[in-house]
Amino acid sequence: MTVDRLLEFLATINPGFFLILAAIPAAFATGTVARVIALIGGPLLALVVLLYPPVAGIEVAKGTFLGFDIAVYRPDSLSLIFGFGFVLAALLGGIFSMHRVDRLQDAAGLVYAGSALGAVFAGGLVSLVVFWELTAIASAVLVFARRSPQAYRAGMRYLVIQMISGVLMMTGAAMYGIEAGSFLIADLGSAQDGVLVGLFDMELPGAWLMLAGVGIKAGFPLIHNWLTDAYPNTTETGAVTLSPYTTTLAVYVLARGFAGMDWLVWVGAAMTVYPVFFAVLENDLRKVLAYSTNNQIGFMIVAVGIGTPLALNGAAAHAVAHIVFKSLLFMAMGAVLLRTGTTKATELGGLHRTMPYTTLFCLIGAASISALPYLAGFASKSMIMSAVHSGPGLYVVWLMLLFASAGVLEHSGIKIPFFAFFSHDSGRRPKEAPFVMLLAMGLAAGLCIAIGTSPAWFYALLPYRDQALEYLAQDLFTPAHLLEQMQLLCFAVLAFMVLRWFRLYPAEKRGVILDVEWVWRKGVPAVLEPAGRGIGAATHAIKAAKDKVTRGVVAGARQVFEPSAWVSRKIPMAVTAVFSLCLLALVLVTALFS
Amino acid sequence: MTNETGNDEIEKDAPAPEPAAPLQLGEPGEHPLSVLLFSWMRSRGFYRGLMAVLAALGVLLIALEFIVPRRGYLPLEGLPGFFGVFGFIAFSLAVLSGWPLGRLLRRPEDYYEREAGDDS
Repeated sequence: MTVDRLLEFLATINPGFFLILAAIPAAFATGTVARVIALIGGPLLALVVLLYPPVAGIEVAKGTFLGFDIAVYRPDSLSLIFGFGFVLAALLGGIFSMHRVDRLQDAAGLVYAGSALGAVFAGGLVSLVVFWELTAIASAVLVFARRSPQAYRAGMRYLVIQMISGVLMMTGAAMYGIEAGSFLIADLGSAQDGVLVGLFDMELPGAWLMLAGVGIKAGFPLIHNWLTDAYPNTTETGAVTLSPYTTTLAVYVLARGFAGMDWLVWVGAAMTVYPVFFAVLENDLRKVLAYSTNNQIGFMIVAVGIGTPLALNGAAAHAVAHIVFKSLLFMAMGAVLLRTGTTKATELGGLHRTMPYTTLFCLIGAASISALPYLAGFASKSMIMSAVHSGPGLYVVWLMLLFASAGVLEHSGIKIPFFAFFSHDSGRRPKEAPFVMLLAMGLAAGLCIAIGTSPAWFYALLPYRDQALEYLAQDLFTPAHLLEQMQLLCFAVLAFMVLRWFRLYPAEKRGVILDVEWVWRKGVPAVLEPAGRGIGAATHAIKAAKDKVTRGVVAGARQVFEPSAWVSRKIPMAVTAVFSLCLLALVLVTALFS
Repeated sequence: MTNETGNDEIEKDAPAPEPAAPLQLGEPGEHPLSVLLFSWMRSRGFYRGLMAVLAALGVLLIALEFIVPRRGYLPLEGLPGFFGVFGFIAFSLAVLSGWPLGRLLRRPEDYYEREAGDDS
C-alpha cells in the first residue's frame, strides 16, 4: 500500500475519530513517548488528513442507524476551516499539556477535541447531535479535573447547563428531521455560492429548539455565565483545552443552520459590548479571558447574522484566529497559575523579570486579539468590520463593534499582560514556564504572526476562497484601513496611560462580580431553601402526628388483648375457638363464590 | 621569592587592586531576556516619554488622514481623527464605568460559597 493509498483511505474517515481513538492510549499512557504519540500524534494525523485534498461536499461515510439516515463525514469548505482551527487547538493543547502526567485530562481533552472536530464534519443531524453530546460530557470532565470542591460544584453547574443545551439540540434535531423529511444536511437546503449555510427553516419549531441549544453553547446574553464560571475553575491546562471548542462549534452550527438571521446581528452586538464592563471589574485574569471569549464570539455571531460571503468568511477566519490567540492567552495565564498558584491581578505583577518568554508570547497574543495590524486578529476581524460597515442599516452595530474593539484592547490587550507581568511588583520571582509550555506558546505566537503578516494561505482556507482573496487584495492592507485601526489603538492606549497617570484607572480589588449567574447560584436557592425548609417542617409534623396515632392504637390494643388484659380474663378459650372457626368459614365461602 | 622583575616587595606593600564591580544590568536574579526587552521600561521618565510618543503618533496619524484617501461614507466617520477620538472616549468610558459598577456589583470573594450554606 502506498502512502497515497493510505491517505486516500484515511481521508474517508471523519478526522474527529483520530482524536477520540487517541484518547484510549492517552488514558493509560504515563511515559513521555506514549504521551507524545497520543497527545501530539493524534492531532498531527488529523491535520495531515485534513490537508489532504478532500472530497468536499460529498458524504463519504453514509449509512443508516436505527432507521435514520446518517452521514458521519461530509467535508466542505465551511467545515474544513473550523476543523483546521480545532486540530490546531488540539495540537497546541497537547504540547502545552506535556509538562505533567494527568491521564484523565489527557483523555478527556482528546475526546472533547475529537467530538468537536467530528461535529463540524458531521453530514447529518443525528451524528451532529451525538458529537454535540460528547463534547458536553468530555468537557465537564475537564472542569472536575481540578479536583477541588469548588471545581466540583462549578463542574456540576457546567454539566447541567450543557445537558440542557444537549436536550434542546436533540429534541430540536429530531423534530426538525421529521418535519423536514430528512436528517441529512445536504437535503435540508440549497447552497449559497457553493456552500451550504443558513439551512434551517425557521417556520419549523424544531429549528427554534436547536437555536436555543446552540445559543446556550455560544453563550448568548443572559446564558453566558457558564464560561466565566467554569474556565477559572480548571487546571492550568484545563482552560487551554476548554476555551477553543464549545463556543466555536456553536458558531459553526449557527453559520451552517442560521446564517442570515437578522436578529442574530443584535444578539452578537450585545455580546460584544456588555462583557467589556464586567472584564474591567474582574480580578481573576482567567475570568477576564472568559468574558473576552463572550465578547469575541459576539463579533462572529454578528457576522453570521449578516450572512453574506464576506461576513461568513470573517466569522470563520475570526473563529480560527480567536482559537489561536485566545489559546495563547490562556496558556500564558496557565503558566502563571502553574508557577504562582494564582491568576488574580491583585496577587500578581512584575513577573516579566523571571518569566520573560511567557511575557513576550502573552504580549503577542494580546496584540493579536486587539487587532494590531499585521497580527492575526486584524486579518480576521477586519472582514467582520467591513461586512458590518457595508451592511445597510447597521450603523449602530458598527459603532457598538468599534466600542467593543476598544474594550478588547482594554481587557485582553492591556489588562491581562499588564497586571500579570508588569504593574506593581508583587515580589514574586517564579521560574519561567516549562519548555513544552513555552514551545506551545511560541508556536501559537508564530501562528498569530504568520496569519497576520501573510494572510493569503489562511484566506485560501476560508469558505468563500475567491471572495477572501479579493478582500485581501483590495481592502485589508489599504493605507486608509491601517490608518483607522492604528488611530483607534493608539488613542485607546493613550487613554489607558492618561487614566493611570491621573489615578483614574480603578485599582484591582479582590471580590466576585455579580452577574446573571446570581439567579441560579443565589436567587433560586434563596427562594427554594425556605420553601424546602417549610416542606420539611410540614413533613416532620405529619410524621409526628402519624406516630402519635400509631402509638395510641398499639397501646389501646395492648390494654384490651394482652394475656392479662380484659379479653383474656373475661372471654373463655372455647368462645375464641368458635369465633376463629366462623371467621375461617367466612373467608372460605367468600373465596368460593368470588 | 623574587620574580623576574625583582619588584616583589613593592607588590606586597601595594594594596590589592579591587576587582572592578561588574556592571549590574537589570535587577539581581532577573532573566537576561527580561533585561534586554523590559528592564529599560522601568527607568524613570519612561512612562511620561511613552505618553508623549503616543500623543505625537496620534497627531501624526490624524495628519496623515489629509494625505491618505479615505472611504468615510458613514455619518461622522469622515471627520478628521474620528477613530482616534472614538478610541479614546470608548476606552475611557469602559474604564471609568468600573468605579460605579464596582461599587454596585463587587462582593466578597466567598459570597457564593458562604451564603449558599456551604461550609467548605
